[in-house]
Amino acid sequence: MTPPAIVAKALAEGLDMIAVCDHNSARNVAAVQQAAGDRLAVLAGMEVTSAEECHVVGLFPAAAAAEAAAAELGETLAQIDDDYESFFGEQHVLGADGAELRRETLALATATPLDVNDVVALIHRHGGLAVAAHIDRRSFGVIGQLGLFPTDAGFDGVEVSRHVAPGPEGEAEFGRYGLPIVRSSDAHYLHDIGAARTTLLCARPGFAELALALRHEGGRSIGDA
Amino acid sequence: MKLEDIAGELGLADFTPDVTGNREAEIDRGYASDLLSDVLAHAPEGGVLVTLQVHLNVIAVASHAELAAVVFAGSRKPDDEVIAKAVAEGLSLYGSPSDTFDIVGSLSALGVKGHHA
Repeated sequence: MTPPAIVAKALAEGLDMIAVCDHNSARNVAAVQQAAGDRLAVLAGMEVTSAEECHVVGLFPAAAAAEAAAAELGETLAQIDDDYESFFGEQHVLGADGAELRRETLALATATPLDVNDVVALIHRHGGLAVAAHIDRRSFGVIGQLGLFPTDAGFDGVEVSRHVAPGPEGEAEFGRYGLPIVRSSDAHYLHDIGAARTTLLCARPGFAELALALRHEGGRSIGDA
Repeated sequence: MKLEDIAGELGLADFTPDVTGNREAEIDRGYASDLLSDVLAHAPEGGVLVTLQVHLNVIAVASHAELAAVVFAGSRKPDDEVIAKAVAEGLSLYGSPSDTFDIVGSLSALGVKGHHA
């Protein structure tokens, strides 16, 4: 996946907004934003792994905020060793044209030492929104890892994966936490992009409108109702 | 074997000395997992759980599963808030510097078994 290819695929899928959410890193966000220009809203995101191995998606108002949050996390991560890339893959940092700028040498695939509440707090401290990732999955979702949804963590929303049937029936069991439900593709490959999507009732694609929609303020909402 | 005797045999640190109701309990079943959804589904009533997770939800899950005690492996110690919740629930918490594998091995040698033993 390169920035130009991601943007082209998102546009081909008819998406108005995507979020770039590398694991424990935000180093590729600005490149995708640059590749998109005015054609597509690209949110600065990051998928953080908590100490309990819960995945938490942070969505930030700008690439700099995501990078600042990632820098704090980076201080807690180990350096990769010789075998790392053969197991976890190469961690490319790409330019807007898709050329490789460098390789990330922090072990991004590992858990951070922050517990899930501290991860949410870190995201909020950098002005971001914290979404409990793919809570329907047995592994790496907060319910799978922690048995019960951590209602005191302060999440702004929950995400369900493409495996949950769209609509009130499929999503019913995930609505009980009183948080808005978003759906996203969790794309790890180009062909995943657009496999799941969230409809927002808002003025225009972008972080500020998403924040309003998650809070159900100003006439904005998740879904088209 | 009684819980207090198991704790003595394994040299466990007692994080909840105020919880006394379980000390005489006979422990013959145990479970080891760090996935709390799995603990919720499979941990045996009246048994002991060995885990690395120190999140507050351990207490909720252990109470719901009606466990007698939780042993935290690898020198992990839950926050005071978590310990206070355990005390309120009457759940005994212990700690050990040993890893999960060795703790489970010691428990097994004392006659504490899993579901299928």
